[in-house]
Amino acid sequence: MSAWAEERRRGAQSSRHDECTVPSRWSHCRKRGVDGSLRTNRDAEGTEKEKYRHSDCRHSSFTTPESSGPVSRCGRRTDWGSQVEDDEMRRDVQKDMQRYRRRILAAEGSQRERKTSSGSSGSCDSREGDNMETDEAVLLRRQKQINYGKNTLAYDRYTKEVPKHLRQPGVHPKTPNKFKKYSRRSWDQQIKLWKVKLHAWDPPTDNGQDKVLDNIEELGLDDVMDIELDFPTLSDSHSASASLNTHGILLEDEDCMGTPVKIQKTEISAQPDSV
Amino acid sequence: MENSTEDYKIQSFDLDTQMLLKTALKDPSAVNLEKVSTIIVDQSLKDQVFSKEAGRICFTIVQTEAKQNNGNVFRRNLLNRLQQEFKDRKETRERSLQEWVCFVTFMCNIFDYLKVNNVPIVALVNPVYDCLMRLAQPDALVNEEEVDCLVLQLHRIGEQLETMSSQQMDELFFLLRDGFLLQEGLTSMTRLLLLEILEFRAGGWLLSSTAHKYYYSELAD
Repeated sequence: MSAWAEERRRGAQSSRHDECTVPSRWSHCRKRGVDGSLRTNRDAEGTEKEKYRHSDCRHSSFTTPESSGPVSRCGRRTDWGSQVEDDEMRRDVQKDMQRYRRRILAAEGSQRERKTSSGSSGSCDSREGDNMETDEAVLLRRQKQINYGKNTLAYDRYTKEVPKHLRQPGVHPKTPNKFKKYSRRSWDQQIKLWKVKLHAWDPPTDNGQDKVLDNIEELGLDDVMDIELDFPTLSDSHSASASLNTHGILLEDEDCMGTPVKIQKTEISAQPDSV
Repeated sequence: MENSTEDYKIQSFDLDTQMLLKTALKDPSAVNLEKVSTIIVDQSLKDQVFSKEAGRICFTIVQTEAKQNNGNVFRRNLLNRLQQEFKDRKETRERSLQEWVCFVTFMCNIFDYLKVNNVPIVALVNPVYDCLMRLAQPDALVNEEEVDCLVLQLHRIGEQLETMSSQQMDELFFLLRDGFLLQEGLTSMTRLLLLEILEFRAGGWLLSSTAHKYYYSELAD
């Protein structure tokens, strides 16, 4: 199995990561070990060769799309350290939800005045307040997956390098919105892709970044968010990524069945030897 | 506003350890937090004075670590160690009343200080009640050490505990009333402490000024 396919598999199991204690091949990209302690750079070499294997973690394709997924044998965490973290997360999710609701209602108010009578609308926020994901179990699971992606050196570097107001939609990875209604498969796919995109900001290794391209092809892009692989200008040049072009990708926004849009982007910004 | 390190009552530690703790308070990422939590818990089980105030230093380290790098290594280690001690409480009490009392004091102090979003840690509520009810058993009420510990905790965290679970507080006070009324062999000091705590709770976790005069005026001299 290629390194990147392994990573993809691992990504699908991110919601159960905290129950799998075997270090993975990509541990060196994680900011924190499974016990929560910060990783230092010297951990990088040691974990490269270890094969990721844990009997409790199964690929998410084992589940039917709408079910809640395989039940972990580890069960609910009963140690006090974990209970506190879980309570904290629950509280944070509730707070997030209230904040999000307020934002949506505010947007709805101003939207109603501007809405046209044409069939498709660019943004479908008008009914989003009613169509929000509110199931706590789902939100917590999604939050855990998001946390797993944010708990990476790549995310750290990304947020430091690209402040929010400079982020371009489609170009820069965007954290999936846990409050939107998505099928389980769609959500898991979005998370996967988001994390793939984030890998562009991985701390430099000898292998270079060209493996990301192969990974995109393998993923099989059905109902996914747009992928525009415009790599950031890295201080250490990865010339292999310069001649990158994406293929036609179908963009389907789950919420608003608008017209599918093909996105093709071949231009790479500021790469020294671009094609 | 920074607490001077005297507030943390770390004088009982040797100088090297004091240095370690001071570093942990300022720069948690620079120390082995698992080691720090072990040191703190170990000392709390031995040192009565420290067990009453250790919560404060723990809270500061938790806050600082969270602010510094969003971590919770210290908190996790601390709580899990505490959980282990809780599991072993029966043996601890049999081995040493002093250690048992220190443990309860420490755990309640953690409950008091380590809040999450200003709410006490839910996972600690039942364990704390479990310990207090143990202290209210007949075989414990005959030990002034244990009664002393019990009323101290109720003074400090009784109100918060009741908010988290009033039913268990009611149960606890049934035991205290029974003990006060029915149990033979209690010293007058013990009865005094029990009576005071009964009045304290009845007054909404406040002692009326006249009751205060009755119970505490002697101390003024």
